[in-house]
Amino acid sequence: MSDQHSPAEKKNSLTDFFFAEEVPYGMAVVRMLLPVVLLLVMVPRWFHARELFSLDGAAAPLADNYGYFDFLPVPSGPMAVALATLLVLTLLTSSLGWCTRISLCVSLVLYTYLNLLDCLSTLTKYSAIAAHGLLILSLSNCGSVWSIDSFLKRRSLRRSGAEDPELLRPQCYAVWPRRLMQLMIGIVYLGAAFTKMHTPAFFSSDQMLHWLLTNVNNSNPLGEYLSYYPATLVVSAYLTILWEVLFVFIAWRGWNRILMIGLGFAFHIGTTFLLGLYIFPLVCFSIYASFLYEEDVQKFAEFFKRLEQRGSRLFAKLRSISESIGQAIPEVSSRQASLVFGVVVLLVTFGGVGVEYQLDPMGTRRAEGAWPLKELDPATVVPMLRQSERIRESDKYLSFSIGSDMLGDVLMDRKEVFRHGEPIVAQCTLNPPHEDMWIECNLHDGDGRIIDRVGQVADRSMLRVSYAFVLPESLLPGQYFLVVRSGGQEITRRAITLVAR
Amino acid sequence: MKRILAVGTIVAYLGVLVAGLGSHALNYRTGAHPTMYFIVWDMFCGWSAYEDRTHIIAQGESGRYYDLAPAPWGDYRPFGDIARHHYDPFASHAGNLALNTLRYTDHEPIQQIFVVQETWAKKFNLPDNLWAERYTEPKNPHSYFHVRKILGPDGMAQATNLAWFDYQARLCLSDNPRLAADSNRGRPFLEMQSQVQVSDTGARPALAR
Repeated sequence: MSDQHSPAEKKNSLTDFFFAEEVPYGMAVVRMLLPVVLLLVMVPRWFHARELFSLDGAAAPLADNYGYFDFLPVPSGPMAVALATLLVLTLLTSSLGWCTRISLCVSLVLYTYLNLLDCLSTLTKYSAIAAHGLLILSLSNCGSVWSIDSFLKRRSLRRSGAEDPELLRPQCYAVWPRRLMQLMIGIVYLGAAFTKMHTPAFFSSDQMLHWLLTNVNNSNPLGEYLSYYPATLVVSAYLTILWEVLFVFIAWRGWNRILMIGLGFAFHIGTTFLLGLYIFPLVCFSIYASFLYEEDVQKFAEFFKRLEQRGSRLFAKLRSISESIGQAIPEVSSRQASLVFGVVVLLVTFGGVGVEYQLDPMGTRRAEGAWPLKELDPATVVPMLRQSERIRESDKYLSFSIGSDMLGDVLMDRKEVFRHGEPIVAQCTLNPPHEDMWIECNLHDGDGRIIDRVGQVADRSMLRVSYAFVLPESLLPGQYFLVVRSGGQEITRRAITLVAR
Repeated sequence: MKRILAVGTIVAYLGVLVAGLGSHALNYRTGAHPTMYFIVWDMFCGWSAYEDRTHIIAQGESGRYYDLAPAPWGDYRPFGDIARHHYDPFASHAGNLALNTLRYTDHEPIQQIFVVQETWAKKFNLPDNLWAERYTEPKNPHSYFHVRKILGPDGMAQATNLAWFDYQARLCLSDNPRLAADSNRGRPFLEMQSQVQVSDTGARPALAR
């Protein structure tokens, strides 16, 4: 067939895929963004470095959870503060592109090390993704454009009289680090899809519904609101897994790239509003910049050129800002800049240790002496230490809803008014764990008399039971109640109104 | 030479990513080593219908009780409004947190440290206005308390119990007299710290972000 490629062509296209050359603009944007995102979490942690990462505090090494005790050495308090300070500094210099490669290498080692020392409040899956990001950035030439390093290099070339535009033009490098970054995020999504495939409750909406109700992340009021509409979760579950599986295969070029990245933005913004995740989305958005091609940057450049030609004030302002930043960078050679970098590292690191010592965040040297412990009322504590009680009957159910249509296994609509002959679906959603239960959903008239008694077994693995009713014309129009009973107790009731056809 | 190094790096890096992906897909040795955390992408792998919090309480020789978490100098809240010690689903670091508080505080000799799990149904997390829209009954939240661990004053475990969720699941099973009898038959003479294999498809607490 004519569209089949020969082995040599395939090898060439694979070589092109990894070794085509380009100016690494995309990786430069990742370099500028990712460290800033990590600074958002590392700066607040710096104040707690002694407590989180050192022998003077309560480090919580991840390796302990895997049975690898003493896998990594836990540093002393001042050393942990020094390392945290150095990490903050090198994340900043990585973003600015000052001694870029060394900054990124130091950031990678320290960020991973400190994360591994605190699995309670520092290490998360976004940390793992960010560590991959820093690793790939440190292998790339992301500092060769839009960085202090590149600025100093070009200024030094100009001063030495080089006017050849080709010499001043940013250098091209093999594209493989960007490919690794793109493949990495695609494989992360594919792994996330496997997790969902392993979790049947993801497709029935139950898993996501309970995550929407959790308070272990940041505030998520929209998630709490959406938990009432499980049918939307069923639809979004299938869309999400489709996107996660397809991403690594089609997010490379053309409209597919725009679609996959666009869906990625929508998905991660969704996790912010629905689940209260802030940093995870920002880490992923930073890595999306690796999908920025040289042609995209050229298009932006042409757009700005048109703005300049039209005499745009915005463009003039941007240009003056960029020029004033350039003027603010002292007249030093690259070698001098490296020396200054070394001095700054030493000063900031020792300075950080000194400042933290003065702040004394754990109050170990406070004038009042050691902290007193907070005493607890025995009336509060003793019930906490008793034999655990069994779950209340009412806690075994999550919700009871009435509608007329189902999507998957969940109610699609909520209704209170029904006509004679119209199907009624009453659905009771359960909270695991529960034993095998007999759950009744009884129809009562407005005076409380039982008209119909319907029961069914919910075995311990079931998360919902549904009851179908059709009210015949022999029932008078008016108010009725559907009453859920379990364990010999009334759990809840809902009023419905029957109207004539 | 540069090209060979680059090819080696590409093959090694992608090989590691694919190994993690395969391990996760086939559920094969995903917890074999701490580094697996960096290549197994199991975000939000578990779930629970119950929210839980951890209380770390010390009992002094006088019989008085003291709160060890958060520490008196303040707590660190990493992901929202709740303190760091609540993000320890296996209670494996509670002893270290307790000892850290005791180290910097003035207190009577401590006899025991209790790690207590507090749990409540997540439906009670709904704000009052949404509760009123969805439920006809009044909001009546109830917390269950469960002693997860008892530690000595040196932080060494004296007793370890199942997590609340597993304990309740076992209670549900014990309603079946045949299963209860079978599970109580042939108890070992020595108790080992064996891990119970839990299916990944089941509902269980997890704190993946």
